[in-house]
Amino acid sequence: MKIYTGGGDRGKTSLFSGERIAKSHDRVEAYGDIDELCSILGAVTASMAGKHQEVETEIHRIQSDLMKVGALLSTSPDAPAFAELEKIEERTIRRIEASIDRMDANLPPLRGFILPGGGVPAAWAHIARTVCRRAERHVIALVDSFAGNGHGTEYSEVLAYMNRLSDYLFVLARYCNHLSDRSDILWKP
Amino acid sequence: MTSETVQGYTTELLGRKSLSENTCELRFSFPPGFSFTPGQFIRFENHDLKRDYSITTAPDEQVIELCVRDTGTGNFSSVLASAEIGTIFRFSGPHGYFVYRPSTRPDIFVATGTGVAPFVSMTRSGISGYIFLHGVKHTPDLYYENLFRNAARIYVPCVSRSSDEAMSDLFQGKVTDYVETALVRRPYDFYLCGKREMIRDVTFLVDDHFPGSRIYTEVFY
Repeated sequence: MKIYTGGGDRGKTSLFSGERIAKSHDRVEAYGDIDELCSILGAVTASMAGKHQEVETEIHRIQSDLMKVGALLSTSPDAPAFAELEKIEERTIRRIEASIDRMDANLPPLRGFILPGGGVPAAWAHIARTVCRRAERHVIALVDSFAGNGHGTEYSEVLAYMNRLSDYLFVLARYCNHLSDRSDILWKP
Repeated sequence: MTSETVQGYTTELLGRKSLSENTCELRFSFPPGFSFTPGQFIRFENHDLKRDYSITTAPDEQVIELCVRDTGTGNFSSVLASAEIGTIFRFSGPHGYFVYRPSTRPDIFVATGTGVAPFVSMTRSGISGYIFLHGVKHTPDLYYENLFRNAARIYVPCVSRSSDEAMSDLFQGKVTDYVETALVRRPYDFYLCGKREMIRDVTFLVDDHFPGSRIYTEVFY
């Protein structure tokens, strides 16, 4: 099947649930951020060049989670199509927490604010963290826009997941530097 | 996106029926373990040739039928159209999200050419009461006309090149002309399948004249 029609050439796009909305809509901002984050995670793994298979496997799982998040955000929660989609589950958030704890156990205690950077994988992980926080802000704006019409709680697990994923990406950046024998770059005000 | 499982299957060509000069309906065996939702398609892969076809049968018929147009350009449709009965093929599936989603809005099914295929499966599965716009160049290409006339609330054959005086409800023109000039303006659920130019043009008409509608699309060619 061809993938392009040109139906979006005039600034509107179709949601998975069929509505036509402006490409500047909060919802498109939200799943656009998720798409950007997923792509940056690809840069994180590409920069690892196959040297840290366990970390890369976890990042691939996270990219798969983000594909589900993108689908949920591109579907109205009151549409029948929403029920067909795979949801983010509590156990997915627990899996991210376990990954954070595993990495953190190998790191020296944090002694202050750190400057983003170090090796290339860590630098990408910090960029991913900031995009993840932006995505979280746009999801919050979307959920807030549902207030009053009885929807929004459908994205509770997505919000928790995004919050935890930002923490994961911060620890991942430190862990990437640790794997390449680099120390944190501490902020000296 | 959903939890559907895409797998590989083997199927046998059981029969062939002509629908028009260059279009035929092919009948295949239903592989054990295969399942699909009306509107979904399967993907044949044979050496370098790969092609997707929407299933026209209902899931409970336990046979797979496809509507294949052979343009004579040597692509996979030509392979299928000329294959010996009994030939074994491999396909993967089910693929796609072009499935029926009930709502309180009236349904408009719009197809060009062999883009009728997913609507044939939906109709054979019991979906009815829709408005059906079938866009073709010539009246012999109005495949499955009787099926749609029986199931649709309104059936509109939109014929762009030839005319048939015996067909009183024929609309002379493209489906886009009908949507723009004859369709009562209100919110609908639009299901569009066929040429991408049709999908683009109907989408723009919906944006301009049918606010509050939903659009589901499948691009055929």
